[in-house]
Parts: sequence; C-alpha cells; structure tokens
Amino acid sequence: MPLCRKHKLYARWLLPPACGWSPSLPEGGSKGATSERKRHWFIEETYTRSLPPGGTGAERTNHDSRTAATTNIFFTPSKEVIIIKVIRRRIRLLTALMLALFTAMGAYFCYSVYFYGGRWISNPYNPRITSQKQSVIMGTLTDRDGTVLAYTDANGARRYSNSRDTRLAVCQVVGDSGGKVSTGADTFHAQYLLGFKSNVFERVADAFSGTLQRGDNVQLTVSERLSRYISEQFPEGKRGAVVVMNYKTGEILSMVSMPQFDPTHVDEALDDEEAGALVNRCTQGMYPPGSTFKIVTMAAALENLPDLDDFAFDCTGYYPVGHYSVTESSGHGVQSLSDAFAHSCNTTFAALSQELGYEMLGDMAQKLGFNENFLFNDLIVYNSSYPIDDLSPEDLAWSSIGQGRVLATPLHMTLIASAIANGGVMNEPRLLRSITTAQNAQRTLPAAATGKRVMKAETAQRLEKEMIRVVKSGTGTRAALSNGYVVAGKTGSAEASNDKSIETHAWFVGYITNDNAPYAISVVVENGGAGGSVAAPLARKTLQKAINIGL
Amino acid sequence: MAGKAPVYTAKKKSGVSASPAAGSKEKQRAAQKTTEKKGAAEKKREKKPANTKITEKKTPRSSSLHQRGEKQVKTRRGAKQARETARLNAVMRDRRRAALGTGGFGVTLMALLTAGFAALGFLLLAVREKGAVDTQAFVLMAVTVPLGLATSLLLPRLMRMDALTMTLTNFICSVGLVILYTVSPERGVRQTMFYVLGLAVMMVMSAVVSRMRRTGGLTLLAMVLGIGALALPLLFGTWQNGAKNWVEVPFFGSFQPSEFAKLALVLSLAYYFSTHRTVLQMMPAILFAGACLALLMLQRDLGTALIYYLTTVVMFYAACGNVPLTALGVMGGAGAAVLGYKMFAHVKVRVAMWRNPWSDPLDKGYQIIQALLAISSGGLFGVGLGQGTPEKIPMYYNDFIFAVICEQLGLVFGLFLLAVYAALIVRCVHAALRSRRSFDLLLGCGVAAMLGIQTFMIVGGVIKLIPLTGVTMPFISYGGSSLISCMAMIGIVHGIAGRAQREMSEDLFAMEE
Repeated sequence: MPLCRKHKLYARWLLPPACGWSPSLPEGGSKGATSERKRHWFIEETYTRSLPPGGTGAERTNHDSRTAATTNIFFTPSKEVIIIKVIRRRIRLLTALMLALFTAMGAYFCYSVYFYGGRWISNPYNPRITSQKQSVIMGTLTDRDGTVLAYTDANGARRYSNSRDTRLAVCQVVGDSGGKVSTGADTFHAQYLLGFKSNVFERVADAFSGTLQRGDNVQLTVSERLSRYISEQFPEGKRGAVVVMNYKTGEILSMVSMPQFDPTHVDEALDDEEAGALVNRCTQGMYPPGSTFKIVTMAAALENLPDLDDFAFDCTGYYPVGHYSVTESSGHGVQSLSDAFAHSCNTTFAALSQELGYEMLGDMAQKLGFNENFLFNDLIVYNSSYPIDDLSPEDLAWSSIGQGRVLATPLHMTLIASAIANGGVMNEPRLLRSITTAQNAQRTLPAAATGKRVMKAETAQRLEKEMIRVVKSGTGTRAALSNGYVVAGKTGSAEASNDKSIETHAWFVGYITNDNAPYAISVVVENGGAGGSVAAPLARKTLQKAINIGL
Repeated sequence: MAGKAPVYTAKKKSGVSASPAAGSKEKQRAAQKTTEKKGAAEKKREKKPANTKITEKKTPRSSSLHQRGEKQVKTRRGAKQARETARLNAVMRDRRRAALGTGGFGVTLMALLTAGFAALGFLLLAVREKGAVDTQAFVLMAVTVPLGLATSLLLPRLMRMDALTMTLTNFICSVGLVILYTVSPERGVRQTMFYVLGLAVMMVMSAVVSRMRRTGGLTLLAMVLGIGALALPLLFGTWQNGAKNWVEVPFFGSFQPSEFAKLALVLSLAYYFSTHRTVLQMMPAILFAGACLALLMLQRDLGTALIYYLTTVVMFYAACGNVPLTALGVMGGAGAAVLGYKMFAHVKVRVAMWRNPWSDPLDKGYQIIQALLAISSGGLFGVGLGQGTPEKIPMYYNDFIFAVICEQLGLVFGLFLLAVYAALIVRCVHAALRSRRSFDLLLGCGVAAMLGIQTFMIVGGVIKLIPLTGVTMPFISYGGSSLISCMAMIGIVHGIAGRAQREMSEDLFAMEE
C-alpha cells in the first residue's frame, strides 16, 4: 500500500544530479589537479551534505571508507541517500516552526507583562501587596499642589487626610487601604507606593541603611481644592459624577463621584451597598449618554455625508421608524442640522441616522473609543459600549441619540470632548503627576500613548462651532462663562427607564475653548432632570472655579 | 587505519607519536586517540590562516592545501574562486572541530559562566540568613559546580559527545537546582542527587546509542518495557491531583513511568519510521504510540498524552512527509481534544480559566492568577534570588516553577532561559542533521521535538498563552523521573553526535591520506 511514497515520486531532475555530485565538478573543480578535485568532492559530499558515500550507514561500517572516499568519485546514489536528504529538509522546516513558536511565546510574554503587568501587581488578589505592606513603608500620596491625601504613620498604619471634606472629596480616586476600591490609587498604584518598581541598587541601599524599605511617593494630577468645591456644589442628595481634565496634557484635574464614603470608616459604605459609594462613577459608571451622544452622530454625519448644509428636516415632534417612533415633546418645525444640534432635536437625528446607516455610525463610535478595551497606564476605565451588530432601523435611531443599548462612562465622554478641543486628536488621560523615590530621585513615568487622531480636523472645528452655539443660544446657555471665556458643550437628558415618572439623567459634556484654560468637563447627575437646567450650571460653576484656582 | 596514522603525523611534524598496537580493539582505540590529538594540534595551526586566508596573501603556510589555495588566487582563478576556496577551508576547519567534539572557546566560556552562575547562586543562598552560614548550600555548590565543569569541559575529551549540548543542559539544570533550593531546600538537595544520577544515565545512554548497530531488538525491548511501565500506575498507582500516574516503589520512593516511556516512544518511532517505508510497515510504532496514548488517557494524564501525540505527529511528518496523512492525524487529534473537552470536566475548567482566570480568582483560576501576579511582581530584573513569595503559587516547585524564576530573576532572565531552551533544541537537531543514518536523524528529531513541545506547553500555560497542562518543565521542575528521562534524552543526542563525530574523523583520515 504505497500511501507514503512521496519520496519515490520525487522528480530526480529536481535534485542536483545523483546526490549532489555531477561529473562536471562545480566551480571549476574539474579544471584543477586531481587531488584538488578529490578534495572538493570530499568536502562537498561528506561535510556539507554529510551523506554516506553510496550506501546506508550500516553498509558503510563494513567497507573501508578510505577507498570509497578516494577512488569512487562517480557513484550511484542509494535510496537511503535520497531519503536522508528529504528527511533533513523536513526536519529543518519543523525546527524553523518550533523556533517560530518559541519566538511567538517570548513576544506574547513581553506583550502581556508590558500591558497587563501593572494591573496584575495592583490586583487585590495579589498576596504580595499584603505581605509587602509588612516589610515596606507605603509611600505618600499627594494631590497636584502637594496636599497629602494618604500617608503611612510611624506605626505603619495607613492614614488619610485629617480634613473629613478632603477625605470624602477624593475618596474614590485615592481608594482605601483594604483594597475595597480596586481602582483607587492606593491599590492601583501600589506597585510604586510599595516599591515594586525599585531596582536592585535601591533595594541594596535600603538594606545597607538598615531601615525598612520605603515605597515611592506618588503625586496625582487631581486637585483636592477643586474636588472639594465640586462635592459642595453637587446637588444635595443626588448621585452622579463630575470629571474635569486638562485636554492639552490629558491630566485629570478632578474626579468626583457621588455618593462618597469616608476611607476611615469603610464599613459604613460596605453596609450601604445599594448606594455604591465604593464605585468610582467617573470611570466605572455606565450611563446612557443621551443627547450628548449626538456629538458622535454629528461627527459621523460631518465626515461621511456630502451635502450636509442643505439638510433640512421638518420636526413635527414625531418620527416613525419601523414599528416604533421617536418622539419629541414639541415640534421644532423646519430646521437645519445646526439648529437641530443646538436645540437637541431627537427626530432630526433619528432621521439622520437612517441616512448614515449603522456601519458609518458604528465606525465613528468605535473610532471615538466605544467598545474599546481601555488600557491606560494610570487608571482603570471601564469600556463604553455601542451596539455594532446588525441594527434594526429603530435600534439605530435610538442609538444615534444615545439611548437604547449605548452606554458610556463620564470619563470617556470627557475624552471625546477633549478630542474635539484638540482638533480631533484624543490624548491618553493621566493621573500620575510625578513619582519620587525614597532617595528623592524622580522616577520616569510610564510613557503615554501618542495622541490618536479620531476625526478630521475640519470635523472637529465644525463640531466646536456647533457646540459653542449650543452654549450661546441652544440648550446649554446656563453653562456659559463670562470674562471672555467661551464654552463649547452639549447637554443631555438621558432616559434611564421606560417609566416616564422617573427623572432623566442630566448630562453636560463640554470644554473651554480658550487656550489659557484648557479644561474639558463632563457632568452626570443621576435622575437629576434636564441637562440644561441641572448639569449645565454645575459645569459652569466647576469651570469657573478651575479658572479661579488656575490649575 | 592505525598503521597509516603515524605516517601522517610524522609528515606533519606535530610531535604526536602513536605507535601501532597489536590487538584490533587496541588498534581502534589508538586510532581514535590519534585523531583527537591530531585534531587538537591541527586546530591550533589552523587558527591563524583561517582568518587571514584571503586578506593577507603573503603569510607563509605550512599546509600544502593552503598553498594551493593561494596559488589559485594569484594565478588563474578569480576572486570567486578565492572565495570558494576560503569557504571550503572554513568548512574543513569546522569539520575538524566537529570531529573533535570538544567545542571551542565559546563553549569553554559558556561552561565557565554556567559554573559561575551556580557558584554565585549557592553562595548567595548560603549567606542568606544573617549571621548563619548554610553549609548545605556549600555542599551543593561543591557538588554541582565541579560536576558541571567536568561534564562540559572534560568529559567531551574522554568520550565522544557534544560539548555545547552538555553545557546548555548544565546551565538549565543549574538554574533549576538553584531555584529549587531557594524555594524548598530539601527538594533542592534531592534534585541534586537526581542530577548526579541523571548524568550517569546520560553517559550510559550516550555510550549505548553511539555504539548500537542493530536497533531492532533493543526497540522491541523498549516497547515492551514502555507498555509495561505505563500499565504500572493503573495497577498499583493511586489518584493524585486528578491523575493516576505515579507508582510507589518500596525503598526508592515514587516515580512516574510516563516519563521513562517517552524514551521507548521516541526509540520505536525512529526505528519503524526509518527502516520501514510504507505506512503499513510503520504501523507497529503507530500502534505502540496509540497504546501509550490510551494508557495515558486511562491515567487521566492528558498533558503527557498531548506530548506523546504531538511528538508522534511531528516524527511521522519528518519521516514520510505525507501531508494529507499528517493533516488527518492533526485533525484526529483536534477531534480528540474537542471530545476530551466535552468529556472531562477538568479540561473544561482549564480552558475556561485560560480564557478568563479572573472569573473565579480564588478557586479555579487561583493557580494561573497567582502565577501571573508572581511574574508581574518580578518586573524586568526580578525581586532577587530567594526573595519574593513563591509559596503563594500552588505547585511552585513543579509546574509553576517558571513563574517562580520570573519573580526572582525577572522577565529578562525568563526570556533568556527560553532562548537557552531554544538553543538546546536547535543543537539537538544539529546533532541529528549531521548523522548519516535516517534512524539517528529521526531519533534526534524526536528528542528535540519532545523537549520543545514540553517546554512550550508548560511555559505557554504558565504565561496564559495556551490552556494550562500539568506537565513538568524539562530539567527544572522538581522530580527525579522527569529529570532523569530528560537527561537520558540528552544522552541519546550525545550518542548521535558521537557516532557522527566518529564517522567524520574516519573520513578525515581517509582524506588526509
């Protein structure tokens, strides 16, 4: 059954004739003296090919190899010789495969440790954090002005700011010593605070000085003063989140999530699980973005649809899509796209989405970071989601106005606003301002990814124009600042439930266009009501305060 | 042969006087010795001209061959000819070295570095505790360091073997011994004893493989022993960690027969695939592999079964290159894997924990998460030898020892270790490629494949590249069976290399005359 006789079908003429040896010697060997020719033959045949001269190894041991090597220049190749050559070729191929596997393994190893290593270390399940706390003095955590947020006292216990207001204002950003807030800096940046990043020399220096090893001191970019102010101004008894960031540098100036908890009494927060005080709503809160998502829809339209300026839509307060319809409280009448954006007209955008189609809108949303697994160096941000599977027309219509299955974190919406402010380039958010070792040396911060272009510069410019109009004469007038500061923004009132009696989430997403105050902000007040009347004033106050502090 | 050797040496004036001996055995030995000595002498002489052959044409040469090469350059041949001659000269130089088998300066350096690593490691561990010196560590150092140096530098001069393979093996072993000693001193001591035993087994294997003429009987014996060994745990074993692959032997401790059956597998596959060309004639080996797989499945030792299976497929492809049949085999294996996934609950768990260990971080995903945390805590250069908290990882001395190495010595060292493994595998293949018998060729290929696959499976599992399979890390994991069987495999490689060297030196004789 000759199933395995491939080598027998091997075309002889494909091989160099007769086991690599031809009567006309290669490279002028035939022209040389006889001894030289022999030498050529010998080396070529027995070393570079290393084949038994004309027989199997078993035969070979039985005859005198010297005579074979010196006299029998032209010999007939045996089957064994050809087989060996073919097997060798296959083994080389397999070895190359094996080496490729090993290389891939090494590459994956580097990749995973580089991208996830920091997250693994700062994982609450890491027993090394607990054991390291016994042997290492945890470093001090300060805000951008140097105000101490958390430190280790002489007894080795973790202490927080003496002022209760400060403790509360930055509670989710700082986290707690027990690792209950897994995204807090005390846990997430434990690799620095506990000295995992110390190199051999620093460890040796510590060992010689005879003291306990000290972790690094970490300075965050957040401002404790601004956070405190936001906490005071946040509507009483409401839940929600405020994120302020510098859109030029990506530094997060404040992350306030309501309700708050006192890190010295974590148990209270644990008891009241329903409130979710331990959750940082800025990075972990998944909200329907509501009308603020119209920024994305608008961007998609600007990039993809050609004659947008001619676009006019007669809003009657009712737009039927599929089996359902998108409704508006009162008809806006005939309006251009710009008017629709300023007045946040749902029906116009629902109609626009039908023209865009789910692919274009989905592409834009994904470009802007929806569905992306954020792997920022400095903080954990949950991924926002946008449904890209085959949308029905009504799903598409609802998605285009930020309802349905669209969910976004406040920080992500701030990033989108920042991208528009930066002319279409999205920067990585930063939370670390500096890291100082126990020996008072500055540690290099992990390099931020270079800004990613998410939309064309013209698109961003046009969007900025529209967003300025929203604040000037649209739904967001109450976010306007005086003294020449121009705010661009978009309000949103996102329905969180089908029950009409439940108030909508109030959203405001925007930024100051002036170069001397590059602040982007997003505000969410859960069940706060309309974005224009609840979120916009809070945004105005916050931005004003940021300008006053001069961050 | 020996009769002509003195003529050669006299002509070359190398000062070696090998007198022809009377007995035929004596004759052979004398001939071998002369080759080695001559090779050494020649290497010295060769060194200079090798580098300067083309660039400096005026250097006087002693060898007539070189003179001819020079004449070519001057007179009728062009630069192409000169290049060709230089290449052939280089080939000859390599060949003499290869026939000698002792390696050059590089191997010596590597052996010294390996010894330095082991010595430094054990020294540091000896003074780990303040004010107390650990004499045990000193004893281990006194055993392993000279032994490592002797086996990689001295032994290749006494018997035919591959010095580079030996050095790489010694390095990997010393990493294993040092790390094992840090995490668990008793185990480190036991492992050192196994290492010494393993070296002895290696030498015996090397001698047997390089001298065996007729392999049929030996292969049959190995197959019978292999099947018998694999059946042992089913008869006398007990369930441990969801598998029944250990056998308790009085006065000896426990051992894992599946590690030793690997040798029988490689041997039988090489034998039946090299001399029997049709698939039907290959059947005995395939049936044997199938029987091994069935027994391993019964023992629930799926990781080892996978190694056996992949090695069989690789060797089948290497031997007959029948792509359709190999593909069929691979598909059959994939089907079996899917079936195993459906049948065994713990396979399902393993795959789920590979996809997302964080879904159950305290129970099922605990092992892999602790390994990842250990690796990342080590950082680029590690927390230092003997530091860290390896005991938090389950099976830290066995399956997860790579995570311990990465925690203590860092990511860079981990990558370096992988590179050393790769180099060892390439060296095994290299030895196989030099041999002139298809049996040796396939044997070397099988050994290399087995070591490579096993390393890939366990390291890939620990770093979460592939689902975790509980196999040992060759040469490093704690366990006498694993270490000794790996050493025996290296012995096979030495045997193959030794035979190739002997044939080469015979050819050298033939040529120089």
